[in-house]
Amino acid sequence: MQFAAGAVGGALFTPMPWKLAEDTAIWSQNWSWRPSPEDGEITSVATTCQLCAGGCGITARLVDRQRAIMLQGNPNHSINDGGICPLGASGVQFLYAPYRIPQPLKQTGKRGDPTGLKPISWDEALSALDAKLTELRTSGNPHRVAAITGQSENSMHRLWQQFSTAYGSPNLFTMPSPADSQKLAASLVFGRQAPLGFALEQANYVLSFGAHLIEGWGAPGRMQVTYGRWRDEKPGSAKTRIVQIEPRCSVTAANADEWIAINPGTEAAMALGIAHVLIRDLLYDADFVSNHAFGFDDWQDAAGKTRQGFKSFVLANYPPEKVTELTGVASEKIKELATEFARQKRAVAVWGSGNGAGPNNLYDDLVFLALNALTGNLGKSAMLGLTPEVPLGALPAPTMDGIAQRGLAQQRLDLAPKPNWPLPGNGVHAFLEAIGTNPAYPIDLLLIHEANPAYTLPGNQIYYSAQEKIGLVVSFSSYLDETALLADLILPNHSALERLDDVCGLPGVPYAYYAIASPILPPQRNTRHTGEVLLGAAQGIGGSVAASLPWKKYDDYLQERVQGLAASGQGAIAEYREIEPWRLQPGDSPELFYRRPPTEGNSAEQKTPESLQKTRTVQAYWKKLTGGMYWYDAPVNVLKNLATPSGRYEFALQNLQGKGMAADEDRLYLPHYHPLAPSGDEKDYPLLLISYRMLSLSDQFLANPPFMTKTLSDDLLQGQDLFLALHPQTARAQGFSAGDRAQLKTPQGEVAVRIHVSQGARPGALFIVQGLGHTAYDEYIQNKGVNANEIIEVQMDPLTGLATTWATRAQLRRA
Amino acid sequence: MSEHETTASTVRYGMVIDLDKCTGCMACSVACQQENNVSYQVDESNKLRSITWMKVFFLENGKPYPDYRFTYLPRPCQHCNAAHDSPCTFVCPVNATKRDEQTGIVSQIYPRCIGCRYCVAACPYHARYFNWWDPKWPQPMEAMLSPEVSVRMRGVVEKCTFCHHRLNRARALAYLAGEELSKVTYVPACAEACPTKAIAFGNLLDTQSEVARLARDSRAFRLLEKLQTEPKVTYLSKHQWVHRLGDQGLSA
Repeated sequence: MQFAAGAVGGALFTPMPWKLAEDTAIWSQNWSWRPSPEDGEITSVATTCQLCAGGCGITARLVDRQRAIMLQGNPNHSINDGGICPLGASGVQFLYAPYRIPQPLKQTGKRGDPTGLKPISWDEALSALDAKLTELRTSGNPHRVAAITGQSENSMHRLWQQFSTAYGSPNLFTMPSPADSQKLAASLVFGRQAPLGFALEQANYVLSFGAHLIEGWGAPGRMQVTYGRWRDEKPGSAKTRIVQIEPRCSVTAANADEWIAINPGTEAAMALGIAHVLIRDLLYDADFVSNHAFGFDDWQDAAGKTRQGFKSFVLANYPPEKVTELTGVASEKIKELATEFARQKRAVAVWGSGNGAGPNNLYDDLVFLALNALTGNLGKSAMLGLTPEVPLGALPAPTMDGIAQRGLAQQRLDLAPKPNWPLPGNGVHAFLEAIGTNPAYPIDLLLIHEANPAYTLPGNQIYYSAQEKIGLVVSFSSYLDETALLADLILPNHSALERLDDVCGLPGVPYAYYAIASPILPPQRNTRHTGEVLLGAAQGIGGSVAASLPWKKYDDYLQERVQGLAASGQGAIAEYREIEPWRLQPGDSPELFYRRPPTEGNSAEQKTPESLQKTRTVQAYWKKLTGGMYWYDAPVNVLKNLATPSGRYEFALQNLQGKGMAADEDRLYLPHYHPLAPSGDEKDYPLLLISYRMLSLSDQFLANPPFMTKTLSDDLLQGQDLFLALHPQTARAQGFSAGDRAQLKTPQGEVAVRIHVSQGARPGALFIVQGLGHTAYDEYIQNKGVNANEIIEVQMDPLTGLATTWATRAQLRRA
Repeated sequence: MSEHETTASTVRYGMVIDLDKCTGCMACSVACQQENNVSYQVDESNKLRSITWMKVFFLENGKPYPDYRFTYLPRPCQHCNAAHDSPCTFVCPVNATKRDEQTGIVSQIYPRCIGCRYCVAACPYHARYFNWWDPKWPQPMEAMLSPEVSVRMRGVVEKCTFCHHRLNRARALAYLAGEELSKVTYVPACAEACPTKAIAFGNLLDTQSEVARLARDSRAFRLLEKLQTEPKVTYLSKHQWVHRLGDQGLSA
């Protein structure tokens, strides 16, 4: 009895239950389906990111040089300074995406039917492409081949240009970008077509007219790093002041030192109000205006007629009271901003209308340029300039045979039978619209490279309508995106991390920049570099086309480009992280800030022009560039390089003369407030729908990866429902409470949404995010929310015919 | 060493996050997920079931348009430094979570965890996440899993570890080089990724370090200070309304 009691008593004090619990936990946790990543040697390889045009330096961490497990910022690359954006940080998710296209595919069923896409060999795929390309040449219709590429400004784009010219088609387009309108504005005021650059690292005052500086504007990596430095406390220097002018409390507005809430679409009016005060109170840079500008005073046109100049035009039309009426901003504030802006040593005005991803209303671009010009931001202080050209090796002049010449003599389709606009540019929207409506001639073959126009084009229905009329659509996409799903033939490109490519210039950056993206791993699928496909196609066509693209491999082509760069004797390669190209002024030599800090045993290295010249061999350049270093050079003084009729900066746009301007009014030759009205009756559509982007939601070529989708808050996306942001007053007036379901209708279409109430939204406006509503890819991103591009409206700019977006009239109804 | 002893360690790893530099870009959150094999689901909109070691909160000033402002607040595990135990280590019945007194890092030992979720309940910062299901990756994605961090299974809790695998790697390299182990520095994935350099990380006890200097800044505050958890993550903000939200509006 005592023994039994003792045994029971002993059992109560045993640690066995706890040991069993712990052991059971261990035994039950080693399920066979739990992935156990294999260990291996961890190495790091440097390259340049290609996931956006921002050109950040990155390193990829590899296991056994066979699989990539992480992308990080390259700490030796001073542009992004070791940091990385969320898209870059999730870059490996694109390499291993389940929706990657593993080999060429052919649509054997009805176009758009995913089950009809069957794998074919590269031989078969290339034969099909070559056959079509040859057929269209032999029938004398090379102009009926069109290409849209998502890569602009770089060597791949240059190759497309060479191919199109030698082949004989004028129909080459890039995906829309702010540079499209910037280049045209620059061609008017500077006489040179180039994108704009802003010396933001130098700025102590940033007047931003709706530019979403820390949400994807310009080069995102550079902007985030610069913003971080603006917020640093440095003894002896004042912190940079940011003034954000826009209708919504965006991330940039919330983080700015001052947010000025303005009526949507009136940013240019605000700038002109400020210009009025600068002119009236003589706060503008008089030296610049007298010595470097034309058209500030009244001027004489080519026919000898006297026309109103910028000064008297602005004084007459944009007094503070009138601007207050337009913008909703008090006149005292306009005057205060003007005085503050003029007083700064290094102030700059930046801008970005619509969602910032596409071209602007050209008169808007011209107004903001004029504001910068007035305060002397061009020339000496070089706060604004043109992105310098990178002196890469020039391509041999393309040979054009008779077929090519006849093809190139045809008008580009968006301008056929004759241009509707005085100053046409990258008219990709007008091109697609023409195909779908009443084209001057048909397009028989459309090639789509690194682009997804079926999803990313604002007013994307035009793509769906256009492709119905196109005989053969070929996509080079690495991913089964909306456009690829609608293609007849898919010849998948290597994905971004597997592909040799380059970056020429950074958006919004005034100094010269060149970097090469080299593959971190061999191609993981049976894909081919589209550059190689083009080179092969050229050889297949033979004759003058083959002669114009003489490179055997894409590597050879790119090496020839780099050879030119090395031989140019310009710029330098940034070998150390301490190099800061933004500190160079126009005319500075690149070795000025080229200092390797002292290390043990070495003194600080300072290169001389002679020692720098010794490093300019093509082998050294190729090795360093493919090793993840970038090349840079000083910005250019834009005033030393003008090609306008007057030889000066033009406030009065003489280059518009004789271009078939609609009316002969003086103001059309001057920067002025020229809003493009959205369609629809205000009675039917009482609200204004404005779209916006987030740095943490990819809305361009790449679909939002799962890591980033996880970060979306539940007041933006819940299940499959997208939430629209509106002011509580607006919600109440429309009869909605937070969370309610609604039908959002615009003249473009109708979608189902839910209501999110926010004090950051401007009353009377609705705010919709870009990047959701995909229908392709996989279940991690498919069918979540709506694609804003389906319902937002495009307004064609009357000067350029570029598709601009700023607002769409909208209505909300109960669901 | 049992957790009841405090040691005279010269190292206490901590973080300072400057909210005036944070732009809510989410690079920290994504880098953390990539570095630490954090799993993701098809639908991540139920935030109570979403595993976010680094979670970025959204704070609003409560004012009407146009005086409305907001800020983002990245919240990793706070690696609470309260005497003897953090709130989570105190409640664990099987010692699956412990604070290492040499470094101050609170770590999770997955095979010991029995999934009782007492620690998840105890953490006032909601920084701990339970694996209700087996994490599942689409097959091609398994290639991106890092061998340096354990892949978890269902039934265990996980949380931010201040990337202690990076610390161990740095220590291993220091050992091989014959260097002093206590002087090892390293950077977690979030701090490294942040493009605005909003996140500083280092030894709080090294008065010369950037972290220690920033933690003493006039803009500094910590989350839920009144609970006396002694979090080792300090935040900087020039806005009073952010400071007030840091204590749920309870502090003056």
